[in-house]
Amino acid sequence: MSGPSPLRRFLPWAVIVPIMALDLFIVVRNPGDLDRLLINMILALSAFVTLHAKLLSLANAGFMAIGAYASAIIAVKLGMPIAVSIPLAVLICGAVALVIGLPVLKLKDVYLAICTLGFGEMVRVLIILTPDLTGGPTGANLSTGFPYEAMKQTKTWMLVAVLLLLAYLFWAIARSRIGRAFRALRENPQAASTMGIDIVAYRRMAFLMSAMIAGAAGAFYAHSVGSLDNSDFKFNRALDILSYAVLGGSGRWFGSILGGGFLTALPILLREVLGNSVGFLKNFAQLPNIINGLALLLVVIFLPGGLASVFGVRSGRKRTESAAGPGLLSPDKPAVAAVTGEPLLALEDISRHFGGLDALSKVGFEIREGMILGLIGPNGAGKTTLINLISGLFPPSSGRIVWQGEAIQHRPAHRVAKAGIARTYQNIQLFRDMTVLENVIVGRHTHIRTHLLTTLLQSPRERREERHARAEAMALLERLGLDGLAEEHAGNLSYGDQRRVEIARALAMHPRLLLLDEPAAGMNEIETGRLGEFILDLKQHGYTLLIVEHHMDLIMKICDEIVVLNFGKKIAQGTPALVSRDEQVLEAYLGRD
Amino acid sequence: MAALLEVKDLEVRYGSIEAVCGVSFQVEEGQIVTIIGANGAGKSSTLLALSGLVRPSGGTVRFRGEDITGLRTDRIVRSGLVQVPEGRAILNPLTVEENLELGAWIRKDRHAVRPSMEKVYALFPVLATRRRQLAGSLSGGEQQMLAIGRALMAEPRLLILDEPSMGLAPLLVKTIFDTIVAITRVGTTVLLVEQNARQALRISDQAIVLSHGRILRRGPSAELLADPVVIEAFLGKS
Repeated sequence: MSGPSPLRRFLPWAVIVPIMALDLFIVVRNPGDLDRLLINMILALSAFVTLHAKLLSLANAGFMAIGAYASAIIAVKLGMPIAVSIPLAVLICGAVALVIGLPVLKLKDVYLAICTLGFGEMVRVLIILTPDLTGGPTGANLSTGFPYEAMKQTKTWMLVAVLLLLAYLFWAIARSRIGRAFRALRENPQAASTMGIDIVAYRRMAFLMSAMIAGAAGAFYAHSVGSLDNSDFKFNRALDILSYAVLGGSGRWFGSILGGGFLTALPILLREVLGNSVGFLKNFAQLPNIINGLALLLVVIFLPGGLASVFGVRSGRKRTESAAGPGLLSPDKPAVAAVTGEPLLALEDISRHFGGLDALSKVGFEIREGMILGLIGPNGAGKTTLINLISGLFPPSSGRIVWQGEAIQHRPAHRVAKAGIARTYQNIQLFRDMTVLENVIVGRHTHIRTHLLTTLLQSPRERREERHARAEAMALLERLGLDGLAEEHAGNLSYGDQRRVEIARALAMHPRLLLLDEPAAGMNEIETGRLGEFILDLKQHGYTLLIVEHHMDLIMKICDEIVVLNFGKKIAQGTPALVSRDEQVLEAYLGRD
Repeated sequence: MAALLEVKDLEVRYGSIEAVCGVSFQVEEGQIVTIIGANGAGKSSTLLALSGLVRPSGGTVRFRGEDITGLRTDRIVRSGLVQVPEGRAILNPLTVEENLELGAWIRKDRHAVRPSMEKVYALFPVLATRRRQLAGSLSGGEQQMLAIGRALMAEPRLLILDEPSMGLAPLLVKTIFDTIVAITRVGTTVLLVEQNARQALRISDQAIVLSHGRILRRGPSAELLADPVVIEAFLGKS
C-alpha cells in the first residue's frame, strides 16, 4: 500500500491557510468583525450536529432567536448577570428542543426541513406578538427597555473560550463510541439499529445538542451586538447557518468551523475590496448572497464531501495490535446446557402480511441452545422476512417470538440486538464509508460502557475499553482472514469479503444467537467450504446459529436441523437426511436429478 | 477477423487497492466466455471497467474494432455491450413490462421493440404472467430473469452477466444456466462471471481464471475443468 501522495498531503493546508488568512485579514482591518466571525462558527457547529446525524433541520435560526431573547430578558429585565442568563437560555432551548423534537423528528428529509422552518417562523411571530416582553416588532433596544449598556456585556475572549470548549467537545465525541454510533447511523440506520444503536435516541440527542449550541450562539449574539431585532432570525439566517455546515462538510466537525469562517469573511472582504470600485463590480459586492451561493456551488461541485473532505479518511492509521483473548469467539453468556438444551428462541404461529401478500403464514419452530438451524426454500418463500421479524426490524402481523421465555415481537431492533441476537444481511448493509475495522468496532457498541460524561473527561477506563475493542475487532478480522484490509473503506471490498466483514461485525456483538442470511452468496465452492468450517467452529465455541443458504452442500453438512419454507408456509422440518428425501421439498426446491 | 471484444493490459484501482493489474483477453463472436476466481480476484472490477461503470486506470478495451476505453456507460451500451449488474439492479417501483421497455431505451427501431419483448417472454414465460406486476414484488429468481430480459431488450452484441446465479435456489440456478445457453444460440455473445464455477465451465467455450487481479490460467473450458490447479482452488472435489 502506498502512502498519500505529496499533493494530498499539501491539500489540507491549501484549504486551511487561505481561509485562516482571510479571517485574520478581515479581523485585523476591523476587530469588531471578530465577534461575528466566532458566533457564526458556533452556529456552523450547531448545524453540523444535525447534518451529521442526517437530519435536515432548519430550526437553528429559531433556537438562536430563543437563546438571544431569553438571555436578553433574563439579563436586562430580571437583572441577572450573563453568567446566569446565558446558561439559562441554553437550558430553555434544550427544553424546547426536547418538546418539539418528539413529533418533528418522526419526519425525514424535506418534510423535516419544512417543519423546522415553520418552527423558526413561529418563534419570530411569537416575538412580534409579545412586545411587552421582547420589544415586539420594534426590536429589543433602548426604546423598548433594553438599554445598550445593559445588553452589551460579552467580551471576545468569552466567545473564544466557548468555541474552544465546543471544539474539545466535538473532538472528544468524534473519537468515542458516541461519535462512532453517529457515523454508523448516518451511513446505514437499519444496520446501526441491529447493532444495538438506539437510532431514535441518537437523533434526539443530535437535535438537542444542535438546539443548545444555537441557543448559546444566540445568547452571545444578544450580548455582543447589544440590541435585537426579529429580522435577525429570518429564513435567510437559517439558510446561512445550514450553508456553513454544508460547505464545511457533514463528515467532520472542523470543516464547519472553516465553512462558517469562510462564508462570513468572504462577503466582508469583497465589500472592502470591490466596495470602492464602480459600476457593475460595485453592485456585485453588495450582494453577499450571490458570492456565498457561488462559493457554495463551487465547493459542492469540486469537493462533494465539503471542505473537511480534503483531510481524507478519518485517521485510525495507528497500528492496531490484535488480542486474541480466550473469550474472542464466545457468546457473552456461554451455553451451559448441551446442544439439545433449552429452546433459546421459539416462533409461535408467526404471520406477516404486506398489503395483500401473505409473506409468512402461521410459521412456528424452535431454535435450541447450541444448534445450527438451516432455513431453506425457494426465492420469495419468506426466509429473509422471517429474519427481519426476529431481529425486530418490523413486528409480525400475528404470532409470538419468544426469546428465553420472554415475548419480544414488539421490541425495536436495537433492544433485540442488546438481548443477544445479531444478524448479517443478504443484501450487504455495511457502513461503506467507514473502515473495515471501524465497522467491526461498531459491533461492540452495547459493550463499551461509556457515556457523554466519561467521554468528555477522557476517562482512562474509556480509553482502555476503546483500545480493548479495537484489539478485539482486529483479532476477529484476523480470524476471518481480513486483517490486511482493516484500514480500507468497507465499500471498496469485494462482495465476498464484505460478507465476511458483516460476519465479523455481528460476532463482535458476542451474540447468543447469530442469524446469517445467505453468508456464502458470492463465494466459490472452496471459500464456501472454508466458511462451513468456520461456522462449525462457532458452534464449538457455544454459538447458536440460524442460517439461510442456497448452497445445499453447506446446509447439509453443518445443520443439525432444517426448516423448509415455501410460499410463506413451513412445508418440512427435520434432520438434513430427512428433509433431503422429502417429496414436497424435492418438488418445490431441490429438484430431482 | 478481429475478436468482438479485445481487452489489453486492463488496470483498475480503488484508492490503494489494485483490483485489476494488467489483464488481457479476447472474446470471439458467438462464444460463451467465463471468468472465474476467488473473492477479490478482480472479476467484477474487470466487468465494471468494460461497461464504463468504473474508469480503468490503465489499458485499452476495444469492442467491435473501436476503442471504448473510458467512454460513458450509455455510449458503451449504445455500441452493443450490455451488462446485467451483480445484485440485479431492477427498478422496483416499475412494472415488469416497464422495466423491459426501459431496456430498449437506446433503440431507434421502435416498431421492433414489441417483438423483442415477446422474445423475452418466450425465453422467460413466468415474466409474461407477471407483466403488470411491480418488479419489486417478484421473487429473487424472477428478478434475475427480469434483469437478464431487460438487458436483452437492448439487443446486445455482447451480454455481460455478473454472478447471475447468486442467491438463487438450486432449481432456479439450473434454469438460469439453461437460459444463458439459449441466449447464445440466437447469436448473442456472453461474457460470464460466476462463483458456481463448475456449472459455468460446463456451459462455456473459453474460460479465464483470475487471481489477485492477474490471469492465472486461460483456455478452453473443458480443459480448465480438468486442470488440477483449478480443481484444487475453485471447484473442490465433486
